[in-house]
Amino acid sequence: MKTLIKLTNLKKVFSTDEVETHALSDINLEVKQGEYLSIAGPSGCGKSTLLSLLGLLDTCSGGSYNLNGHDVVDINGKQRAAIRNKEIGFVFQSFNLISELTVAENVALPLTYRKDLSKTERNDLVKAALEKVDMGHRTKHYPSQLSGGQQQRVAVARAIAGNPSIILADEPTGNLDSKNAELVMALLDKLHAEGATICMVTHDPRGAKRAERIIEIFDGRIVSDSPTTETKIAEAVA
Amino acid sequence: MSIFSDINFALRTLIKNPKFTALTVFVMTTGLTLCIYMFSFIQGTMVAPLPFKDGERIRAVDMIYNGMTYQGTSIRVHDFEDLKKRVQSYEVFDAYDIGTVNLSTNDRAVKYTGHFVTENFFKISEAKPLLGRLLSNEDALSGAEPVAVLSHTLWQSLFAGDKDVLGKKLRVNTKPTTIVGVMPDSYQFPDAGRIWLPYTTKATGVERSKADYVAVYGVLKPGVTDELANTEIKSLMAELEDKFPKLNSNTSARIWTIQESSMGDGTSVIILAMELAVGFILLLACINVGNLLFSRATEKGKETAIRTALGAPRATIIMQMMWESVLICSISGVLAVLFSGLWLEQSNTDLLEAFPFDPPFWWNMTITESSIIAAIVITLVTAFITGILPAIKATSGDFNATLRDGTRGAQGKSAGRLSKIVVISEVVLSCALLLLSTGMVYSVNQQNNVDYGTSVEDIFTVRVGLPETEYKNLEKRQQYYQTVMAALKAKPEVEDVSIARTLPGNWASYENIAIDGVDYGKKPQYPSSNSVGVAHNYFQMMEVNLREGRVFDSRDKMDSPLTAVVTENFAKKYFADGDVLGKRFKFVETDKDWYTIIGVVNDVLHGQPTAMNIAKPSAFTSIQQAPKRFISIVVKTKASDASTVANLSKIVTGVTQKIERDAPAYDVKTLRASIDQRNAGMNFVSELFLVFAAASMVLAFSGIYGVMSNTIVQKTQEIGIRRALGADESDIYKHFIIQGIKQLSIGLIIGIPMGVALVNMLEQSSLAQGSLMLYIIIPTLISAVMFLAIYYPVQRALKLEPCAALRHE
Repeated sequence: MKTLIKLTNLKKVFSTDEVETHALSDINLEVKQGEYLSIAGPSGCGKSTLLSLLGLLDTCSGGSYNLNGHDVVDINGKQRAAIRNKEIGFVFQSFNLISELTVAENVALPLTYRKDLSKTERNDLVKAALEKVDMGHRTKHYPSQLSGGQQQRVAVARAIAGNPSIILADEPTGNLDSKNAELVMALLDKLHAEGATICMVTHDPRGAKRAERIIEIFDGRIVSDSPTTETKIAEAVA
Repeated sequence: MSIFSDINFALRTLIKNPKFTALTVFVMTTGLTLCIYMFSFIQGTMVAPLPFKDGERIRAVDMIYNGMTYQGTSIRVHDFEDLKKRVQSYEVFDAYDIGTVNLSTNDRAVKYTGHFVTENFFKISEAKPLLGRLLSNEDALSGAEPVAVLSHTLWQSLFAGDKDVLGKKLRVNTKPTTIVGVMPDSYQFPDAGRIWLPYTTKATGVERSKADYVAVYGVLKPGVTDELANTEIKSLMAELEDKFPKLNSNTSARIWTIQESSMGDGTSVIILAMELAVGFILLLACINVGNLLFSRATEKGKETAIRTALGAPRATIIMQMMWESVLICSISGVLAVLFSGLWLEQSNTDLLEAFPFDPPFWWNMTITESSIIAAIVITLVTAFITGILPAIKATSGDFNATLRDGTRGAQGKSAGRLSKIVVISEVVLSCALLLLSTGMVYSVNQQNNVDYGTSVEDIFTVRVGLPETEYKNLEKRQQYYQTVMAALKAKPEVEDVSIARTLPGNWASYENIAIDGVDYGKKPQYPSSNSVGVAHNYFQMMEVNLREGRVFDSRDKMDSPLTAVVTENFAKKYFADGDVLGKRFKFVETDKDWYTIIGVVNDVLHGQPTAMNIAKPSAFTSIQQAPKRFISIVVKTKASDASTVANLSKIVTGVTQKIERDAPAYDVKTLRASIDQRNAGMNFVSELFLVFAAASMVLAFSGIYGVMSNTIVQKTQEIGIRRALGADESDIYKHFIIQGIKQLSIGLIIGIPMGVALVNMLEQSSLAQGSLMLYIIIPTLISAVMFLAIYYPVQRALKLEPCAALRHE
């Protein structure tokens, strides 16, 4: 399988006048296309920082980052924005839907930043994404009119609407009850089954186990990188 | 918590945030100061009550001529006497006359304004003499001994406060007159009179066309409304117009309060404009402070949620928040009373210096009891408005969601709507207010720089009133003119001398005219023109340019046919075919003979430089052909500096006194000073509006910037989301600019017509002037502020990495 992400000696240091905090040190990681990866670890270990770096939401302090064959460390803000738009889909713990936009407008939002899409193409993509997450009947609703689970499904639709290379999910079930959490996790499973590459940060061990591979981070370093038990069983069976 | 602990908590919160407290107190103090100042100013001047028992029912009756109200001695005595016989609405319906009187004692002569009054006049104004007695109706009877009552000022200046002044004589217009009373310093009804003489003006035996004009006033019967009395007077005046179509053409009358009459026709419009302006400013201040309090309440959302979770009732939380606004507004209220008090004191001094007359006696420009009550009410209302809405809004959220944290992305829709409404309101108010204020300032600036059509610099003027008895003979008057002009011209300081009935910038008699050959029918609607008598060299000395024909010369003598020189607008208005020379007209009321037009000169402005006056045509007549008793001596000087003016003042006063002891010079000043003094009232109002414009600019611009900036700061997380989804910097700027344009457009669509309507309202009273330049500049300025208010906060938000923006609280 093609390598989608390759991190080499990646590090992130937060500096103030008096303190220098090494949030991530010497991160080496490869993610293949179609892989379902979960990043686990205790609070403050650096997993969200890692996800921010993967999503080009932050800049690294050292090392290299190759995304889909392109070095993305030294590119400018406009290029980073274009990559986020086309290559990456985000799902956040707090949904991060824009309250003043309807469901359809929220899903269409990343597509509006693409100059190569006509309005019809955009509407088709929005419709398809919402149907995929079973929210096609709520297009004109505002986020505040939806339950938490529905909001997160809309957020997932937004993440997949532009057919990104990778979906980055940061604690996607953190704000949901167990029933809704299960629905969202099932949705991610489905997307993965359809070929999506997913990289998920989670505290939830059960959620983490649904991925193919778990990366554990402690004090800013990767301390383990192994297939999940289910993957091992599957591999063994295969 | 008790009220005291709530107050204590609010106080601690304010002390802990000195910048926030200072900002809100500054904004609120600005709004309240303007409001309290304006309230006190209007209450103390324009609508101040007359301090008499029947003060509320005393009304002035003024003439309306060609739609314009003329105050003071404006009603023909014949009309007054006719009206007096028939009016039903008044307990008292009376008249008095005002005239310049020359007073001479053994050692000097001075000129003052004298009031010729009846017994009623003193009765309704509750006059009590300091010494002696008041005037009675018997004093006005034919053959009665001439008597006078002196003002306190005159008593001091002419008799050094001599308590034995009663019975002493002084010459009033050369007539020996006995002093029978002295009034106290406080008595100034209806204005600052200096001497009161018996009212002897009568219609009997005088031709209607040669009648004197008197000032009419009355005391309404209890229960009679102004509307009723106005209807009555207008109906009676209409009957007189029917009865005397030639003399009463286009005339009517109105009744209004003495205060309104004293302030003029545009007073109610000015009051309305001022009230609207300060109302808008106070509203802006309330919106800004309310928005600041709301922003802080939003920031403290978690604290509020914790309090709610711990069982605090919503009312308690709202009260706690309310106390902050109560404290802010109370501190601001106290400061505002202090500042407005100081400002009123300064205004009093400025007005006294700027005005050519003493201010009306009822003016009381200080902080009064009613100002304090108004200040308390306004402060409490503003505290309520600025406190209650943010408090209710801030406590109406989903506290559980706030405590759970993280779902903020799905909240704030109503808060967003509120901030949009606030921005739109700020744009509307600031646009309307700035258009109104700048329209007013622009108009006054135009008026101050208007072309009077003559030279107004280095011109020195004095008024002289020749004694009636001694100068009945017209040739004697002419002789006086020649002697004065020759004597003054011989002085090295004087470049040239001339004489005129009135001067540019000063009021001219605006009279009905009839053009020869035009049939005005049985109910004539005559045209009008300023009538200005001038000496032959006036045009040359005053640099009035001849356009056609000739100006007056030696051919225009007393016994030769009457001639006139008219202005260009006169020629255009009444002789549209352009053929004006040789045409004839006459002043309907005063002249039997026709004036032949011999020349056309450029337009000359008489009266205040309003659009109405600028449009008025003027006809100059030769003062040599019709010499008058009251004239202005005009002296062209080599300079108008203070020492030259002081020197000239002595020279002219000395020369006039030497030539005619009983015709002292008065109104000694430069023409520029005379014009400036006449415009002082408008300049003062304009300065007030300049303050309004400055305050509205500071409040509106800081408000727009504050709200927009705060909105964008609150949307930092949204910016993070948009960037995470692929928006680059230009997309983010574009998004907020488009949003800003929407709010700006709505605000301007409402604000511009509102401002234009306000300017038009004032424009009708010649108090403001619209200008395309202002209609472009003001919205552009507001738009620029709006764009800056978007650009800088967005730029700040974009400096954050997207992940930091996403975490932004």
